[in-house]
Amino acid sequence: MATEPLTIHNRIRTLRFEAGEMTQQALADRVGVSRQTINAIEAARYSPSLEVAFRIARAFGKPLDEVFQCLPSPG
Amino acid sequence: MNASFEEKSVWIQLGAMVLGLGTYFVIAVGMLAAGQRDMSAFAALFIVSVGAMILLMSVAYALVLFAGKPEGRDERDRLIAWKSEHRSSWIIAAGVLGAVSCMTLGVENVWTANLLLLSLMVSEVAGFVLQIVYYRRGV
Repeated sequence: MATEPLTIHNRIRTLRFEAGEMTQQALADRVGVSRQTINAIEAARYSPSLEVAFRIARAFGKPLDEVFQCLPSPG
Repeated sequence: MNASFEEKSVWIQLGAMVLGLGTYFVIAVGMLAAGQRDMSAFAALFIVSVGAMILLMSVAYALVLFAGKPEGRDERDRLIAWKSEHRSSWIIAAGVLGAVSCMTLGVENVWTANLLLLSLMVSEVAGFVLQIVYYRRGV
């Protein structure tokens, strides 16, 4: 079954800025992961589980699709 | 170093294994080349190497813990550990298969034992290197 390649984008950096320049460590503490994991998610080097994605969205008080977007991969 | 405790732990284990077991194999190859076939000589060397590895790891862990509190393992650490083990464990399986073949062909026990140990070391080192790649480049 052929599937279209997708890339997951996120607005975590923007949302941290809007939340009064919330630090990665503060977000990590709220979500229950390490600061390095938040950094990896923010840089799109790691796609989190659905549970962690929901926790991140909840930390910003936003729905999931305002934090993560799934777009077709370029090329 | 901008790394989590788990990543630092991988670096420590990799360094200790390369230094400890690497030294073992450098000496063991020399012993084999010199005609040494007594298993007890290799066992003694192995025990000293493992002791040195434990000592190195203890010192390194103490320094890392002194520098900061560990964050605990999260889902990314677990995924990286699982993925790297999944991709490197075939090496030890190949080593076991090779050791069984050696026993079937009547090869001396000292070669069989060292082949097993070498496959264990290469498998572990490959696993650690893969983990570092996943931590650095993404998973």
